[in-house]
Amino acid sequence: MFTRGTLIYIVQRLVLITLAVLGVSSLVFLGIHRLPGDALFSEHLRGTQYELTLHHYGLDRPLWQQYLTFLGNMFHGDLGESLVNRGVPITPIVLREMSVSAEVGLVALIFTIGLGMSFGVIAALRQNTWLDYLLSTTSVIGYSMPNFVIATFLILVFGVWLENITHGNFYFEIGWPGRYGSIGAIWLPAFALGFPSASIVARMTRASMLEVLQQDFIRTARAKGLAPATITIRHALRNALIPVITVLGPLAMAIITGGVVVENIFGIPGLGKEFATSILNRDYNVVIGVFTGYAALVGLTNLGVDLLYVVIDPRIRY
Amino acid sequence: MATPILQVKDLQTQFTTHDGVVRAVDGVSFDLYPGESLGIVGESGSGKSVTALSLLRLVPNPGRIVGGQVLFRNDDLLQLSDEEMREIRGRDIAMIFQDPQSSLNPVLRTGFQIAEAMLAHQRSTRSQALRRAVELLRRVRIPAAESRAKDYPHQLSGGMRQRAMIAMGLANAPAIVVADEPTTALDVTVQAQILELLADLNHELGAAVVMITHNMGVVAGLCTRVLVMYAGQIVEQGPVEQIFEDPQHPYTWSLLKSIPRVDAVRHERLRSIEGIAPDLLRPPRGCRFHPRCPFRVEKCFSDDPHLIEVKPDQRAACWVTMDRARAEMGADDLLDIRPGSASGVQAGRLVE
Amino acid sequence: MAATPATVVAAEPIAPAQASLWSDAWRKLRRNRLALGGAVYLTLVVVVALTALVWTPYPMAEVGVGIPYSAPSLQHWLGLDTIGRDVLSRLMVGAQVSLLVGVGTQLVVLAIGVPIGLAAGYFRGVFDQVTTFVINLFYGVPNLLVALILVFLLGPSLTNIIVAIAATGWMDMARLVRGQTLSLRERDFIEASRAAGARPAKILFGHVLPNALGPIIVQATFGVPAAILFEAFMSFLGLGVPPPMPSWGSMAADGITAIRIAANLVIAPAVALSLTLMAFNFVGDGLRDALDPRQRR
Repeated sequence: MFTRGTLIYIVQRLVLITLAVLGVSSLVFLGIHRLPGDALFSEHLRGTQYELTLHHYGLDRPLWQQYLTFLGNMFHGDLGESLVNRGVPITPIVLREMSVSAEVGLVALIFTIGLGMSFGVIAALRQNTWLDYLLSTTSVIGYSMPNFVIATFLILVFGVWLENITHGNFYFEIGWPGRYGSIGAIWLPAFALGFPSASIVARMTRASMLEVLQQDFIRTARAKGLAPATITIRHALRNALIPVITVLGPLAMAIITGGVVVENIFGIPGLGKEFATSILNRDYNVVIGVFTGYAALVGLTNLGVDLLYVVIDPRIRY
Repeated sequence: MATPILQVKDLQTQFTTHDGVVRAVDGVSFDLYPGESLGIVGESGSGKSVTALSLLRLVPNPGRIVGGQVLFRNDDLLQLSDEEMREIRGRDIAMIFQDPQSSLNPVLRTGFQIAEAMLAHQRSTRSQALRRAVELLRRVRIPAAESRAKDYPHQLSGGMRQRAMIAMGLANAPAIVVADEPTTALDVTVQAQILELLADLNHELGAAVVMITHNMGVVAGLCTRVLVMYAGQIVEQGPVEQIFEDPQHPYTWSLLKSIPRVDAVRHERLRSIEGIAPDLLRPPRGCRFHPRCPFRVEKCFSDDPHLIEVKPDQRAACWVTMDRARAEMGADDLLDIRPGSASGVQAGRLVE
Repeated sequence: MAATPATVVAAEPIAPAQASLWSDAWRKLRRNRLALGGAVYLTLVVVVALTALVWTPYPMAEVGVGIPYSAPSLQHWLGLDTIGRDVLSRLMVGAQVSLLVGVGTQLVVLAIGVPIGLAAGYFRGVFDQVTTFVINLFYGVPNLLVALILVFLLGPSLTNIIVAIAATGWMDMARLVRGQTLSLRERDFIEASRAAGARPAKILFGHVLPNALGPIIVQATFGVPAAILFEAFMSFLGLGVPPPMPSWGSMAADGITAIRIAANLVIAPAVALSLTLMAFNFVGDGLRDALDPRQRR
């Protein structure tokens, strides 16, 4: 499945991702540093204190010098320090938050693929029955609902109403007690994040299953006397997945983006929450850092999706 | 001859479409004897492929088998449960399909697709089955069988793919192999090799072969008996040599006229059949071939002919038969083969 | 004798017949009940938004028209929000914001994306390479985040939100139009008018654009709910339209803090938003099936 060529391909892609990350963070850096220096601070600093702070962050130097320093630090993996919390380095924060977001995103992706595929397969196998119509309608509603609406309803049902019905004995606690989410804390946000994408996967899986089930090799499999379940899973589903995987890249992107909102609703300490907080706090260095983290996350996700092609479709080689 | 291994009685398969019911197979009956090689010939749309698919109950939607019997080892296959039928498929009756390109799963290794046929019916481990698959590939004369077994279908040539399909059909040493146009999608040179392979396997393994084809040449090379189908019905059947020498149905006669023969006694003109195959939504009344038949008589317009013994072992469904056409209408010297040209019976009330 | 029907080979028309394409599409669209239902709902939203221009039950920004967190009642059909403003009035004005952002963004996207796509696909060369490079560059970054940064840098206002969303959305349109142009420019009727000496502008706007119009309309229709969703996201995060202007997104964000005491505050904007997005998607699906059968998913 994976050959030497694949390895070379991965290395090439990693180089490209690094360049893209540098490019994106440079753009954000230059965009933000066009603003006058004093716009960079939310507190009212006066006189020498202001001068000293500017100097501390190197903001008193010409832009090109600042940029070179920024690039140099980037190569060492140093994203600088927070403007709001002086002395706090950004890199470890962003790395930790990346892993939290990736954790939630991964569970969401599992929901997306698992739910979407099963719904799609069932709808295709029961084509034009009430079950098919029910699932198809659900998926149309699903992809039209913004994830924060789904999140809100989940909180309402599992957090508020469930608590009222069971008199506080059994309900979903909103919030994120530890650094990483437990199974109990992660499934609602992951579901909210994954459901709209799952609807799209379900629609595509259904269509592509229906097409694959008409193919000659399915007839061959039946003529061999294989069990229906084997035919569905081994022969039909694997082929039906190929077109579905092509949308997985954009869907993963939607999940990453959606994280900004969902993390804020559920209070998850991930990249998305930091993004909103840092923008509202005008902590520009953190904004740049978070953006860098996002660019890396997107690049790696797309690489992962492309490698999935190779696993699913033997005709693709890199 | 021995007792038949498969008996098909009055098989009826229909397709329900928006425009009406298409009787793709309309009352087909025949026997298949152990180890023999039976050809079913006809144009596309004659119902020969649907007949083959009906034997294994693999007719695609919206097709339905609505009547008749398919008797195999004292069972009527049409009455079996889905699970019982599944066990027959691939184990007792195997099928080889027309287009090996689309009939093999593109995402599974060739060897595995063969092994899978065994694993569905036999107690054996995956590695045993895979080893057997390599043997089978060797048996269908694929060079470097071990490495080919690990290839995906797109890495094989067309001929090799069809060999792999045949290996798959032979995996469980079935009693019957149904081959649906196995050479149509292949180059001419490869066609000959595949036919030769099928003939050898028929002799070596003793499996009965049902060969579905539109090509009389294929039948001549491989089969001992032949059924000729037209518009969902059998119009003539008998031993291959006899039919080739002395066809009695005008349709068979014109089919044989339309292929070049190296052993032709006289220098004959090659002729294609006039007209187009009938629309099975609204089949013609009477004999279904009459709108295209040069030898038709009045009766052909109104009455449906039944298969009757015209020669020893040879049956044809025709009111005229070629013996009479030769004697009374000069069929051998006929140049004009337009409908009714030889008999002079023209349609005043033809075609609804 | 049965006559063999003579085969009549129809001469290929010089340009695809437009009139029949559109009337055919209209017939297909009318039979699509979901699309029709969506269109009816959207008409209702437009009527509500226009009504809100001249009349709302209560002034949408007036604080304390009743007791905060009040449940829906005869006086206040959808209740009162956290500082005692009438939710229905704010919902009606919110419809204006959503429609303005959705339609406004797509107008900008059309104005930028279509000419760039046409030029890139028709002239190719350096311009095409630069365009493709920029499109691919943006493809690697989540659009929502870029739009958020832009609004942040430009300052939050309705215009800036439209500009920011359009700035991240024109690439998809440009890519579509470029692809259409690339395939159309090889067709005979384009070759013919080129041979007849027509100027590029006339070819592009007279021949290429009319033939690519179907997919463009479909894409723009799907772009509207995407833009509305973006605005809702931004407002939900507190980076959208500045208060006291209501947006369904910011109303939901306010409501979620009060989810335990007055769930109607979050349910009302959430349902309005979801239904609107759904309606646009239904209409989009219907248009795609009617106008662009090849792109069916």
